[in-house]
Amino acid sequence: MFGVGARVRRKEDDRLLRGRGRFVADIALVGMRELAFVRSPVAHARILSFDIPEQVRRQVFTWQDLEPAGVRPIRAASGLPGFKVSEQPPLAADKVRFAGEPIAVTVAATRAEAEDIASQVIAEFDELPPNVDMLAAAAPGAPCVHEHWSDNIFLETRVGQSFEKDVAAAPVRISRSIRTQRQCIVPLEGKGLVAHWDRQAEQLVLYTATQMPHIVRSGLSECLGLPLEAIRVIAPDVGGGFGWKGLLQPEEVVAAWLCLHLGCPLRWMEDRREHLVAAANAREHHYEITAYADADGRLLGVDADAWVDAGAYSIYPFSACLEAAQVGSILPGPYDFPHYRCRTFSVCTNKPPIVPFRGVARANVCFAMEQIIDAIAAAVGREAWEVRLLNLVPPEKMPFDNITGKHFDSGDYPESLRRAVAGIDLASVRRRQLQGEPDGRLVGVGFATYCEQGAHGTAVYHGWGIPMVPGYEQVQARITADGGLELRAGIQSHGQGMETSFAQVAHEVLGIPLERIRLVHGDTGLTPYSTGTWGSRSMVMAGGAVATACRRLADRLRRIAAHLLQARLEDVTLSGGMLQSGQADITIAEIARTWYLAPQLLPADVDPGGLEITAGYKPKSDHGTFSYATHAAVVAVDAEVGLVEILDYLVVEDAGTMVNPAIVEGQIFGGVAQGIGTALYECSPYDDAGQPMASTLMDYLLPGFTEVPAIRIEHMETPSPYTEFGVKGLGEGGVIAPSAVLCNAINDALKARGAVVTDQPVTPARILAALRNARAEPPP
Amino acid sequence: MSTASPNARLVSLTVNGRPVARLAAPRTHLADFLREGELLTGTHLGCEQGVCGACTLLLDGEPVRGCLAYAVACEGRAVTTIEGLDQDETAARLREAFTAEHALQCGFCTPGMLISARDVVERLPDADDARVRVEMSGNLCRCTGYVGIVKAIRRVLDDRKAG
Repeated sequence: MFGVGARVRRKEDDRLLRGRGRFVADIALVGMRELAFVRSPVAHARILSFDIPEQVRRQVFTWQDLEPAGVRPIRAASGLPGFKVSEQPPLAADKVRFAGEPIAVTVAATRAEAEDIASQVIAEFDELPPNVDMLAAAAPGAPCVHEHWSDNIFLETRVGQSFEKDVAAAPVRISRSIRTQRQCIVPLEGKGLVAHWDRQAEQLVLYTATQMPHIVRSGLSECLGLPLEAIRVIAPDVGGGFGWKGLLQPEEVVAAWLCLHLGCPLRWMEDRREHLVAAANAREHHYEITAYADADGRLLGVDADAWVDAGAYSIYPFSACLEAAQVGSILPGPYDFPHYRCRTFSVCTNKPPIVPFRGVARANVCFAMEQIIDAIAAAVGREAWEVRLLNLVPPEKMPFDNITGKHFDSGDYPESLRRAVAGIDLASVRRRQLQGEPDGRLVGVGFATYCEQGAHGTAVYHGWGIPMVPGYEQVQARITADGGLELRAGIQSHGQGMETSFAQVAHEVLGIPLERIRLVHGDTGLTPYSTGTWGSRSMVMAGGAVATACRRLADRLRRIAAHLLQARLEDVTLSGGMLQSGQADITIAEIARTWYLAPQLLPADVDPGGLEITAGYKPKSDHGTFSYATHAAVVAVDAEVGLVEILDYLVVEDAGTMVNPAIVEGQIFGGVAQGIGTALYECSPYDDAGQPMASTLMDYLLPGFTEVPAIRIEHMETPSPYTEFGVKGLGEGGVIAPSAVLCNAINDALKARGAVVTDQPVTPARILAALRNARAEPPP
Repeated sequence: MSTASPNARLVSLTVNGRPVARLAAPRTHLADFLREGELLTGTHLGCEQGVCGACTLLLDGEPVRGCLAYAVACEGRAVTTIEGLDQDETAARLREAFTAEHALQCGFCTPGMLISARDVVERLPDADDARVRVEMSGNLCRCTGYVGIVKAIRRVLDDRKAG
């Protein structure tokens, strides 16, 4: 009742509820000074000169200080053919490529004083025309962001073949232009770091709010020219990440070098304005998509061009082309159809780089594809869910290799849809629409079904050739002399509750009580290498490694127990922390005491590895896990002012075996809330000069208590055939469907007025514009 | 530290029942004063724009934004931070309810959330869920979707009614 499947309370809660967590801003070291960054006020320009007042000259550093010292630019190439490599000096060299790019750093006793100095540093620029819109930047003749390139395309990819003749006679042809907005990621805790040189260990130690300490260490090694063993990266308590904390930051490189140069500890705390205007963004896509279907609504083919605004630089380790490459491979979603072609363009612009935000491109392709499904349904005169049902991969085809080679491992996708239709009570919504609302608002209902590839394997990443390829995930497990268990993992928990869920896995195998199991994580000095926490992978990969390590420890415990109990090995069982043979038994703690304190009692052939082991784990399939869900929502749209209220929101999901259902639900609730932000509120717009227009949380609107409804969840639980306990990755799923569901629901509400919205966020202005257009052009 | 500032002023106030007298520059906000000077790091800074609510603390018993209050403007007043609520009965009930309802994930918004929730529970014993949401709307959470937080506050309101 505390193992896999138990809804246990989290071990990490008490310290967090008492304000006694330790986040990076809470760390202070003796002699520590603070940093502030001078950031480019313009989007695209050559730097002509710096004007630095003489009295602060020794507290200001630019690339002219870093480059001669051997600091190298951040470089994240992809092995995909044709990828153009960008080099990002951590402080801009001769050119700035986005407003907010760091151009100098200042150091002072306090952050406030460092900011005072930063305000006195003036750079003179020769401004160049900025590339603000990705379609214009991709067009021939656009000024190049990187002057030695021939155009502004990081990478073009092509998936699939021409199929015009195969679908020439298709009775239904739907074409749409679809645009999604640039988003900021906005974990409540921004980035931050403390860097110092540990004189005893002779190591650079970087405390940083990251999801991937081992990868930050690799990147620092490359940029600073230090060997890996001279660098230790520690992630303390981290206040949310969602992808934003999954990269090597220029500020990390600068601070690490400067602490070595100055010989004192340094701290930098990102402020919210820096996060909103100068940090990596996500999700800005444009689609030109055409779908072909038969008269029943069965999909015959999908033909798409997709552009992703990848910003000015390729980030380490994920590169500039993750989102676009994902679009090509996952646009078909959970549907089974015979013809597919997709071209993608990762476009370089004068905006901040992009980083994989929770769900990455899955949210965008779901938004695009699910609009298409609804449009096909409208064209053939059927309910949209019926057209979905017609096209979803049926359970009898599982496991199923889809048109782009994705290996769907298991599940009943149509059942999730049927349950969502029943759970949202479609019939009653249709009756309500016929009656009309007393307040005159328009009610609509929407659906979306998706699948979520998680825990991507070696083969998936190898083909892509970026600086990070996940292999075996390792965990170290050690039984202590008093019968406790220490787990050491290179992933990093930043809200996912892994201190609890990993303990549940270990408890399931060994029976040691949860309160005696401790997870050590997020510290390269204490844990095995790991690519970190991203891509819905930690529970599958590191959780699988915990189980593997604990099973091997159980085997060693049984061998020692057999000797101590004078029993045959095959007769010794482990249950509830107790090893038994017939009437004789011995606890894990007693065996541990024997190993550590009374080794004379051990058998002669005891495994010299003792009660400590490092185990590596990969699932039986390298394709990653495939979770899926159908979301459904009912909305009320005020056609006078364009406001949308979510009246009901239902998730029917299947992420395989749940280790802790409360944590699973928490991930889904949080994901849906972020998806509601994507659908209706969040947007980081840029003006024609490349200036960011949203620089406070009053301009960049996050969904709050009154915007997120009481979300309902129904679980399905189809275990993965390939993973420990049948677990599937699910951390990103919640965020994938809301923008599609809400857009479809809004369009369902607006259809009586002949209006259609296609772009997100679906703001009141867009709804009112769609209504105006519909009045101007009445439906045929 | 703000003590380096030439125009720093001595600020005397009570923090979690303890008298504190410390120099502060006029521009030092209360959250920095508490975090950097008193090492009370449970008051978290999420935006320093007065929007996210992570730095919410009690000033003479009323919730305020630690990032919008200047330390020098708090002369003689009583400040309670999350660390000062360890023995508080309502806060204890809320901590129990928050963990039972999985009302926190990363925990960064949690101290401010708990202080606002305590204020709602003590001030509005009859609040329904819709009222709870409106009253809590000055605190942002990026992890939980608010579902567990509303349930946790509901649970404490109901428990207090039941005695």
